[in-house]
Amino acid sequence: MALIETNNLWKTYDMGKVQVHALRGISIKIDKGDYIAVMGPSGSGKSTLMNLIGCLDTPTQGEYHLNGKRVSQMHDDELAEIRNREIGFVFQTFNLMPRSTALHNVELPLIYGGRNREERLQMARHALEVVNLGERVMHKPSELSGGQRQRVAIARAMVNKPSLLLADEPTGNIDTKTGDEIMGLFAELHNNGNTIILVTHEMDIARNADRILFIRDGQIEKEEIVRRAS
Amino acid sequence: MIYWDIFRMALNALWANRLRSGLTLLGVIIGVTSVITIISAIEGFMGSVQAEINKLGPTTFLVVRVGGIITSEDAFFEMIKRKPFEVEYAEAIEDACEDCEKIAMQAYGFSREVKYRDKKLSNVYIRGAGASMIDIVDYEVEHGRFYSYEEDYGGRRVAFVGTTIQKQLFPNIDPIGKTIKINNLKYDIIGIAKEQGATFGHDADKIIFIPFNTFAKDFGTPRRNLTIFVKARSIDVLDKAMDQTRVVLRAYRHVPYDKEDDFSLLTADSIMEQFNNITRFMRFGLIGITSISLIVGGIIIMNIMMVSVTERTREIGIRKSIGARQKDILFQFLFESFILSVGGGLIGISLGVLLGDLLINLINMDMTPSLLAILLGIGISSGIGIFFGIYPAMKAARLQPVKALSYE
Repeated sequence: MALIETNNLWKTYDMGKVQVHALRGISIKIDKGDYIAVMGPSGSGKSTLMNLIGCLDTPTQGEYHLNGKRVSQMHDDELAEIRNREIGFVFQTFNLMPRSTALHNVELPLIYGGRNREERLQMARHALEVVNLGERVMHKPSELSGGQRQRVAIARAMVNKPSLLLADEPTGNIDTKTGDEIMGLFAELHNNGNTIILVTHEMDIARNADRILFIRDGQIEKEEIVRRAS
Repeated sequence: MIYWDIFRMALNALWANRLRSGLTLLGVIIGVTSVITIISAIEGFMGSVQAEINKLGPTTFLVVRVGGIITSEDAFFEMIKRKPFEVEYAEAIEDACEDCEKIAMQAYGFSREVKYRDKKLSNVYIRGAGASMIDIVDYEVEHGRFYSYEEDYGGRRVAFVGTTIQKQLFPNIDPIGKTIKINNLKYDIIGIAKEQGATFGHDADKIIFIPFNTFAKDFGTPRRNLTIFVKARSIDVLDKAMDQTRVVLRAYRHVPYDKEDDFSLLTADSIMEQFNNITRFMRFGLIGITSISLIVGGIIIMNIMMVSVTERTREIGIRKSIGARQKDILFQFLFESFILSVGGGLIGISLGVLLGDLLINLINMDMTPSLLAILLGIGISSGIGIFFGIYPAMKAARLQPVKALSYE
């Protein structure tokens, strides 16, 4: 069964008199363990698609099933629980809590997941060790480099063992060398069986994925298979 | 427990904005302090008045020409037209009232200068009272004796004095047997009253009792200001004693059977009730005015929370993206305003009780910290935190994750 299945997704924004169609009937299927890159010029609707897949927003029309659950008609709080358990986000701007330590940042999804303190700290420490930040758990974001911050964000995304890792331009704010390290980390996560969706506008980055979806004007323009999934 | 974790997040957020939190706290502190101060002071004041009035004792009532609750303009004019009292009333009540134990007439006195040799003491309160008065009022004999019926009947110039007279005019000598002058008339001191202490800045020991008939002879009978003090045999027969007294007075004053009494009977309870009624407007007015500062404190909280929500829109977006539900965000912000208001409330209560105490001491009254004021303070401040915090918190909780995340 597919991890993600969308059927004719539409997203329309009502801008007063004008209706803007950000997505015009997107139907995709992503299996467990897939590594997909989504490419497209700005305004193509790729961010809107990411928001829908990430359950940050709901479609105007169409169906979306995640892990067998029909999420397109869910309420705010149900979506919040889906985001907490099923999805890990990695953003271009890291989106860490600036005043909290790396450990607390990684612990946060577990707090909202209702886990107890001991379990939380153990899981958070482990996640930071996986991204090679075991020595930096008590550092605040301002005391970390861009690459380290992004690794904290990845640890936070993965700490709850979600079914899906959603990365929106994860290398956009860091230099090429560090970006390569981050992409290496993604490859590792993929090899361990994680499903990854990566939004980027850089072809070099997109080529790390198994499959690339090209989006234009709210529709899927074409699909390119980089390599057969093993 | 997730709420405990959210509570800690709220504390951390407040600590991160220490200056702002401190200033907000100050707003609440000022509001709660002023309300608690006023309530404590009023409670203390009312308590002291009650204690003062209770000195009359539960079995004693007063018969006065004008008194009681004035309910209308007509009642007021009826009162001031009432006939004066006659000196014979006291005797008449004594004869006809079976349940009355002691009766004493009193001429409500005035303040005079008192001299002993070359020493002077001004503003001494002179009370002309019957010989039974010592058994009715709260004064007790410390030294010497009170005057007798014979001395009263004979209009003898004897005086029973308060301790202030002794301290000021006779610092090192025994005043008993000494002669003082009031209005250039000589009075012999025969007894000293036990110290009463000062209340409301009024020195209850700066007083001289002289026999009623002596007062009438020396200063004239103040027929418009006569008060009859009556002590019933027991609390059980107080009502009967009052009824009997009423019958006597109605007969003496020729009140037709279909007319209301043209005099008033006052007990400690009815005096307190009157005092309550008279001061009610003032008390509630004061509390009302000071409550404005509480509302201002609440508005400050709301304002700061609104700014905080706007400023932290992105943070809210991040929290939502990793799984915070609406109520998680709601409680975080609600906890913040709650901590501010209850924290400010607790500090304000302590300050208010302290200040209230100080204020009460200035006017020489006893005061115990008012439990009512404390409970009220906690209740009001937590109420403010929730009332003024709920809107900003709901605004935060309802933010759309996508919009919140892209907020610059």
